[in-house]
Amino acid sequence: MMKIALVGQPNCGKSVLFNSVAGYKTAVSNFPGTTVEYVCSDVCIDLEDFELVDLPGIYSFSSPEKHELLTRDYLLNQKPDAVINILDASVLSRSLELTIELLDLDTPLVVCLNMMDEAERKGIQIDVEHLSSDLGVPVVPAISIRGQGIPELFQAAVEVARAGSKGKSFHFSRDVEEKVAELMSFLEETADAVRLPARLFALQLLQRDMEFEALLRKLKPKLLLDVERLRTTISEPHGRPSDMVVSSERHSLAMNLFEHVAVVKPREKRSIRDQVDKYIMHPVLGYVILGLVLLLFFSLVFTFGKIVETPLLALFQDLSGYLSEHMNRESLIFTVVKGLVEGFSGGIAIVLPYLVPFLLCLSLLEDIGYLPRAAFLMDSIMHRIGLHGKSIIPFVLGYGCNVPAIMGVRILERGRDRFITAVLSTFIPCAARTTIIFAVVAFYLGPLYAVLLYLVNLLVIAIAGKVLSRIMPEITPGMVIEIPSYKAPNVRAVLNKIWFRLREFIVIAWPLLIVGSLILSLFDYLQLSEMINRTFSPFTSGLLGLPEAVSITLIFGILRKELTVIMLVQALGTTDFAAVMSNEQLFVFTVFSLFYIPCLATLGMLRSVIGNFGMGFALVVNTSVGTVIALISRIFFRLG
Amino acid sequence: MITTLAKLKGGNFAVIKEIKGGHSIHHRLGRLGLHPSDRIRVIRNGFFGGPVLIEVHGTEVGIGKGMAEKVEVEVEEQ
Repeated sequence: MMKIALVGQPNCGKSVLFNSVAGYKTAVSNFPGTTVEYVCSDVCIDLEDFELVDLPGIYSFSSPEKHELLTRDYLLNQKPDAVINILDASVLSRSLELTIELLDLDTPLVVCLNMMDEAERKGIQIDVEHLSSDLGVPVVPAISIRGQGIPELFQAAVEVARAGSKGKSFHFSRDVEEKVAELMSFLEETADAVRLPARLFALQLLQRDMEFEALLRKLKPKLLLDVERLRTTISEPHGRPSDMVVSSERHSLAMNLFEHVAVVKPREKRSIRDQVDKYIMHPVLGYVILGLVLLLFFSLVFTFGKIVETPLLALFQDLSGYLSEHMNRESLIFTVVKGLVEGFSGGIAIVLPYLVPFLLCLSLLEDIGYLPRAAFLMDSIMHRIGLHGKSIIPFVLGYGCNVPAIMGVRILERGRDRFITAVLSTFIPCAARTTIIFAVVAFYLGPLYAVLLYLVNLLVIAIAGKVLSRIMPEITPGMVIEIPSYKAPNVRAVLNKIWFRLREFIVIAWPLLIVGSLILSLFDYLQLSEMINRTFSPFTSGLLGLPEAVSITLIFGILRKELTVIMLVQALGTTDFAAVMSNEQLFVFTVFSLFYIPCLATLGMLRSVIGNFGMGFALVVNTSVGTVIALISRIFFRLG
Repeated sequence: MITTLAKLKGGNFAVIKEIKGGHSIHHRLGRLGLHPSDRIRVIRNGFFGGPVLIEVHGTEVGIGKGMAEKVEVEVEEQ
């Protein structure tokens, strides 16, 4: 089957295009770097079956980013039959640099000029035919969010794949080009042997690409001397290292090409965007607006959640009341039914009422393009804890669920920033832990205590950030972030995204929740809970002063934090916690639940993003911080 | 006048002269379209050590203070 790959710079709309033909398979949003893994789908357009691959966005072939290397490796090793290079037409000059690199790939290529409407709004007029003849490949204008140009695009892709037609290679200025040609002639045999395009191989070597250098060292080490010699001859007359010479050559090729094919008309009046940004990114008002946005965000979520949660909970309580009246309470079958019902209802009544509005609001914020602006505003504050503005995006995501937050740290450039942000993200009270705060502390001790908890939480994050950044000093001088234009959220895209993320809860977390609840019920039946509670009692009741029975809930909390409150009901045998626990105990329990071991899903994600060491590190830090803060709150309650 | 990007004010136009620092800084700025000899417009310069917001090749880019100090520019007379 034919393979067609989508390649483009971050935030050019690849995933929108992919989803529009492949059904909803990847998340889309308005910040660069949403796709970090590649996704394949078999699609059929005009009776033509092929495999379509959505690759993470890359700015250039010589990028050091991990997920960008993934794209490059795919293109070089999997050899797709055609590549569709998607360009954001509104930033054409910059996007053409990648196109020039892709031409050296020796793969049939089609260029898709996406977001033509946005380009028009910016006053950029592009001569499509001219561009096509300059590049030697078909160029298809499109507005993918509205489905415009997509059939033509795939038709063109299938045609070039069949014909195997390739574009023109661009040539640098003579002195540089001569050296490239010389290196190509040395490399030809070696490149052929590993099926690499010689020009691309040569250019990557001249750009000091470590991976290609290692490859050459393995294949034909004596050529490294020639590479080094040519690098020096290129760099000397320019007074700059060869990698910079090559990249600025490519840059000027792209600029010339842009001037050749496009006209930019000056805008007459300031766009709406400038007007809006004047307030949104204002040095004082900007923060007020940011505060209001977050306040509105969380109050909407909780108001809606509460309205739905209360009647649903009552309904399920009636159901379990009915069950315990009509069944033998000592029987195994009752134990099983009770466990299943409680797990099922926990998902519907406690989690979904908050998760759905949360995902809706978050998707809207994401798609409008607010998050990069928040990152801009938060940059100087985040510097105080040794990070920079972009880290705020995973943090905000963390309030929904730590898993996407940790996934989100991949937008950060440096491993160190990813590590610190991922570890700190696990401290953020996710929707599930928020329900503990609300159901236990806010409900029994009052909303002020809940606010206090949030403040303590932020303080802990700040201190932990400070400490971590001391241990791992910052090397790079800071943030560089693209501020995209505002986009009206597309209803279908937003609904799809909510469903995409909700599905993750429904198929992964919910079954775990039901099984967990069932196991706890069985533990009760077999009277195992007592044994577990007794084992942990030196810690829970001795050190933290909590009722012995809560040990088991904390253990199940590791499975899913959503289980904590449900399990607490189970373990204490009542929904009126205040009847069996003192205020101090309620507060200490919540504080500890907030900080101790993250849930299994979070641990799994930590492992895949920052490795085993990172996961273990987060585990130890979280548990010790949880214990310390719990002890401090105990002391405060005694004193107060 | 030669200065750094960090010192520019909102509304200034400038041409990038040199980007100081190693490969990774060049790369990170280059991927968002900042190269020597490119012309930029400063939209606003942050305060309290906040980032600079500039327009370059029709895109808006936020650049942290430390990073902006590495970019040497020539300011255009208004």
